[in-house]
Amino acid sequence: MSESTPAAPSNMVTLTIDGQTVAVPKGTNVLEAARTLGTDISAFCYHPGLSIAACCRQCLVSIEKNPKLQPSCQSAVAEGMVVHTKDPQSTLARKQMLEFTLVNHPIDCPICDKAGECTLQKLYFDHDNANSRVDTPKVHKDKAVDLGPTVVLDQERCILCTRCIRVCDEVAGVHQLEMSQRGDHETLGTAPGAKLDNPYSLNVVDVCPVGALTAKDFRFTMRAWELEATPSICQGCATGCNLEIHHKNERAWRLIPRHNDDVNQYWMCDDGRFTYRDLREERLAVATVGGLPSGWDRALARAGERLAAVLKQSSSLGVVLSATHSNEDNFALAMLAKAWGAGRIFLGARAAVPERADDKLRDADVNPNTAGVNAIAKALGLTLGSGADLEEAVNAGAVHAVVVLGDALNVSEQALARLAEIEVIAIASHERGVVKQAKVALPVAAWAELAGTVTNRKGLVQRMHAAFPPPGQAIPGWEAVVRLAGATGVKFSWTHAREVFKDMTGKVSELSGHTWVREARPLQLRFAGSRG
Amino acid sequence: MSSSHAHDESAEPQKGPKVLAVSPKNPNVRTIQVVRPENADTTFLAATATGLGITIRHFGKNLLLPRKSVEALGQGGAAAHVRFKNDIETIQYPEEKVQYPERYRGLHRLMLRDDGAVRCVACMCCPTVCPAHCITIVPEESSDPSIEKRPAVFEIDELRCVVCGLCVEACPCDAIRMDTAEHAKPVEERWEAVENKASLMGRGIRSTATQGGEGPTWRDKK
Ligand code: SF4
Ligand code: SF4
Ligand code: SF4
Ligand code: SF4
Ligand code: FES
Repeated sequence: MSESTPAAPSNMVTLTIDGQTVAVPKGTNVLEAARTLGTDISAFCYHPGLSIAACCRQCLVSIEKNPKLQPSCQSAVAEGMVVHTKDPQSTLARKQMLEFTLVNHPIDCPICDKAGECTLQKLYFDHDNANSRVDTPKVHKDKAVDLGPTVVLDQERCILCTRCIRVCDEVAGVHQLEMSQRGDHETLGTAPGAKLDNPYSLNVVDVCPVGALTAKDFRFTMRAWELEATPSICQGCATGCNLEIHHKNERAWRLIPRHNDDVNQYWMCDDGRFTYRDLREERLAVATVGGLPSGWDRALARAGERLAAVLKQSSSLGVVLSATHSNEDNFALAMLAKAWGAGRIFLGARAAVPERADDKLRDADVNPNTAGVNAIAKALGLTLGSGADLEEAVNAGAVHAVVVLGDALNVSEQALARLAEIEVIAIASHERGVVKQAKVALPVAAWAELAGTVTNRKGLVQRMHAAFPPPGQAIPGWEAVVRLAGATGVKFSWTHAREVFKDMTGKVSELSGHTWVREARPLQLRFAGSRG
Repeated sequence: MSSSHAHDESAEPQKGPKVLAVSPKNPNVRTIQVVRPENADTTFLAATATGLGITIRHFGKNLLLPRKSVEALGQGGAAAHVRFKNDIETIQYPEEKVQYPERYRGLHRLMLRDDGAVRCVACMCCPTVCPAHCITIVPEESSDPSIEKRPAVFEIDELRCVVCGLCVEACPCDAIRMDTAEHAKPVEERWEAVENKASLMGRGIRSTATQGGEGPTWRDKK
């Protein structure tokens, strides 16, 4: 955000807020300027990632030489401005604005999904905390209105801030939501002939300061305060949107975007949000030999035995790195491939989805780490073959055994069938595709269960944190590589992803200069700041 | 009442613990001096002797006094389930029962709506507050749009419950109560002590509290 950008002094404006002097860049609004001082002026309609509507009047402050109170979100700072946020006049005004907002509010908190992270609840406790003075019936509107495939609207709970309309207009670039009627009958709904069905639709749920918009996917599953948040990176595509995994009981319940101006600002796409479901589907939780559960020791012994035979003629050994796995996993396997002298190295990836690409966040490359694997391969002097190359090599009988990281191969059905006939050793988190036919499958952690890094399409190296432990016998991918190396007589001394990362930064120029970020502790959500 | 009591005590420091400071905001909040027992008292010799005396006295009573039985009472025309109390000290449960204090809580129950449906809206306040983590609720969407949310599963492990009553305090809907004065049943298996939605609702009655809180029932005035 603007306040952290060091600007030339000429672009700075100095003003006084509650007796404290602060210098902020020109064009900052008073509300943001106050936030730099730690003064959080109450607000509903202001969102740092959206245009300013100033329609809720919840952020009124006194600005000297101004006869009336001013909405701080809309007032740009000026040299020598004197602002009071805690004076009786503006405090009372904000309190009364809140009372107006609550006049027709249904107070559904016990059944409202937003309870616990609701701005209205929070401001009520901050400001007023008094009983309602309203003794007339409230205005009724529709409840549980279906807006589209992803979102449900409760019109009574809506406080008419128009944030959701602006998200659709400005982030998704489509006009799908609209206000109708006036006064206390003003109602949010879909625009004529439109449905809320854009690929960024769930961002409206995040920006809604109250529980008017709820996600069908998450509705009534968990209360906000039951969840813990761990920062991570979306694995849905090469953009690498920053997100928070909201989890409980070793299970992810939803993914929420995390602010990063360099990548995704405050947003993420709907496809990305649903990737959490995959964390519980078709998981490989136990090491298998010939498709049967066997445990690590037997699986490693068998893999070592088979690889020993192939390694006598190591040019017939293929190794598949994975664009769906972290830099650490790939680096470990690439180092092992070099130590083995493997003949052919390939890149395993999910097939591109061209219709998905737009000029916003969504990318056609649905692999989170294509850039990272390519950088590692280049630095280690390995030539990465594509899925087609792998197919050709298998058909030509050039490889007798393949060690595969991940389950995404992007090869045809026939090639998969051919792969079933040769020795496949899979290191994977999910039991599907080539992993199902693997002679030995080693279970590893999926993205939400590991500490590691991925490199996005812009070359930005981003850190993932482990939200919960992996299922069953699964271990981090690099550790599985270390064990597999041990079974073939190659010794790696890594004991933590941090050490793999450190070795990698020394070898891969794209990563040099990066340092390992300390593990993030899960944070309990309580009026969490993640909602913009 | 209690606040005037507090004032009395601070006015007469010789009664009760010595008051060191009184909160200016709330006179009931005070800092007192705690008197710890002397070393000589912590051997508990005198207390042990007194306790042993009580045990011996009870033993004597149990040995010497006659024991009435429920059957004997029943012959006199009284119903066999009447509560009665022998003169001897040992209580002959379950024939004989002690009178519980008026504020005894007993097993939980789930209150009902007018149509007999469960009143609970699965807001998760009670499992959140429960210090024993013994309440399990799985919410589901209700087919009735005016209710929206209800529990699909509602279980309380009465073995783990510490009978603190916080769940009742936390409930915004008067949906859960602990006023049945019913004992937790003796069970042979642990799982039998888990009360489910049906058994909890079986003890429930219609609540007279207004759903959505006090004040005009605006939802009905549509
Ligand atoms: S929007 Fe907020 S205040 Fe309104 S019912 Fe939901 S939690 Fe309660
Ligand atoms: S639905 Fe939510 S975000 Fe949209 S106008 Fe209403 S309160 Fe604002
Ligand atoms: S009485 Fe206390 S321990 Fe028992 S269920 Fe209620 S909150 Fe939990
Ligand atoms: S607090 Fe009341 S309404 Fe909420 S889940 Fe518990 S019993 Fe149900
Ligand atoms: S936040 Fe400033 S008017 Fe709404």
